[in-house]
Amino acid sequence: MTQATHAANRAAADGELRVEKISKRFGGLKVFDDINLTLAPGDILGVIGPNGAGKTTLINIICGKLAPTHGRIFLGGEEVTAKPFHSLSRMGVVRSFQQTNTFRTATVRENLARAVRFSGGSADVWRRLDELLARFGLAERQDEQSDKLPYGQQKMLGLLLAYSTSPKVLLLDEPAAGLEGRERTRVDDFVQHARADLGCSVLIVEHDMDLIRRLCPRIIVLDAGRSLAEGPPAEVLSRRDVIDAYVGAIDEEDA
Amino acid sequence: MERTAPRVGKPGPGEIASVVVLALAFAVPFISESPLVYSITNQILIAITAAFSVYIMLRMDLLTFAVPSFMAIGGYTVALAALKGGVTDTLLLAALAFSVPALVALPLGALVLRLRGVYFVLVTFVLTEIVQLLLFETPGLTGGSNGLVGMPATTLFGLSLADNRAVLFVAAGLALAAALITAGVTSYFRQHFAAIEENEVLAQSLGLVVWRYKVLGFVVAAGLAGLAGFSLVNMLLTAHPTSFSPISSVNYIGYTIIGGRSSMLGPIVGSTLLVWATNIFAIRGEYSQGLFGVLIIVVVLLARGGLLGAVRSLLLWVQTVRARASGTAPTSSPTVAPKSSPTTRVAP
Repeated sequence: MTQATHAANRAAADGELRVEKISKRFGGLKVFDDINLTLAPGDILGVIGPNGAGKTTLINIICGKLAPTHGRIFLGGEEVTAKPFHSLSRMGVVRSFQQTNTFRTATVRENLARAVRFSGGSADVWRRLDELLARFGLAERQDEQSDKLPYGQQKMLGLLLAYSTSPKVLLLDEPAAGLEGRERTRVDDFVQHARADLGCSVLIVEHDMDLIRRLCPRIIVLDAGRSLAEGPPAEVLSRRDVIDAYVGAIDEEDA
Repeated sequence: MERTAPRVGKPGPGEIASVVVLALAFAVPFISESPLVYSITNQILIAITAAFSVYIMLRMDLLTFAVPSFMAIGGYTVALAALKGGVTDTLLLAALAFSVPALVALPLGALVLRLRGVYFVLVTFVLTEIVQLLLFETPGLTGGSNGLVGMPATTLFGLSLADNRAVLFVAAGLALAAALITAGVTSYFRQHFAAIEENEVLAQSLGLVVWRYKVLGFVVAAGLAGLAGFSLVNMLLTAHPTSFSPISSVNYIGYTIIGGRSSMLGPIVGSTLLVWATNIFAIRGEYSQGLFGVLIIVVVLLARGGLLGAVRSLLLWVQTVRARASGTAPTSSPTVAPKSSPTTRVAP
């Protein structure tokens, strides 16, 4: 417990993510304009919006996989705009992927070992990991090749890989996409655990509105390249313009 | 009970077997005195040394055509050191043959390996042509189209290594050194290289500085090619541009892929069989590349794991059939089955 407190303190000192007036264009195609958001350690922020609203692009920019066209990103006060992907990961901004994404021919254990090693993690990550593996039914499958796991477990492994790097800011790209009802509650469980264990903030891009309502005290709606609304889900999701933007899409699964 | 991460630096059976096999090459001069056997063994050892260069890069799913370029740099370095510098000590020459190409590869790799894999392949291809051009167009240094001839025999601790047998010892020693370096690097960085090969984007997202490992691999691969260049120049006592023709890069790729890219034994098996076949069937040089090209296509289409992979699959199949006949399931899952599908790419 002291360790968790310690982690939380450290994160409070340097873990705040601030995204200022980010815009992105691909050639002539505008993805979005003027996006602002702040994530303090421990925050959980939901990002929703119809397909093509730029949600994944936003994650790609924050994690350093893409450079923004304009705007700046700060982590703990330090500017990190367009730093390389691996550097941002080392600094604690780590993302998960929409599709299942593991080292396919490696075992579950090897996958996690790589995540711990590549992130320069210490051995005590394993104690927390072992507990999570047990919770997600992966403990007894540790020696199985990761691409032989059922879809849902591959997705959970993807989340655990991000967790294994002990992130300060966790970016989750549709963590529940393709999961069944019972598996979805594991995402809740995972997010709560990550926040409690690591003191990290979490940004979740998701189409599952129930999950968003359960997990996120605050959400942002992206639509047609701008931030349409921001606030508590109950309030934002009852707004007329948000419902209009989402008509026919609000309970749609899978991008 | 705390389980620890898989260890980084432990050589596997493939690496150990490869080193042992190459150590056995030292026995050839004691078994045979036939000049033909010596000549073929020499060629095989040089081919293996060069094929390791391809093998290291393939560990990270990178194809390199640059092997003849770095062989040339290593070979010419040795020839110049011997002819102009009077250096004949084998160990010193080997150190030069490794380090000069490695030093050339360092800035080149740092520049190119941040780009996507395709561009790297292109650059290595262009490099072979550039090196050829330089060899022909700088006669003052490289002797131009005459090459550098009349190299003195190398020495070891003052002992002359002039006769056929001694030349074979040098080739075996260089191949063994190359095997030890390859085994060391690929087993120490096994998890890193495998992660890059399978899923570069995921590896980066977890904090791995991918390009640095690629550069490291490239530098070592260049050094190994340099050793092969030394071996070749030492056998011919001549450094000539035609020994390092751009098209010969296909041979080294062929040895590795046809033998099997998933284990260090692959390049050994591939080099041995193909060099031997080329000699026995007296295939003329210019046809052998065509033959290797066809064989590479066959391997890629039918047996991704190469000869080694095909043998493994066959053994597994026999095992399964036997197990089924005796009514018991095989004890272990087929973890050595040849790997097939390409890396998952992540859509932006």
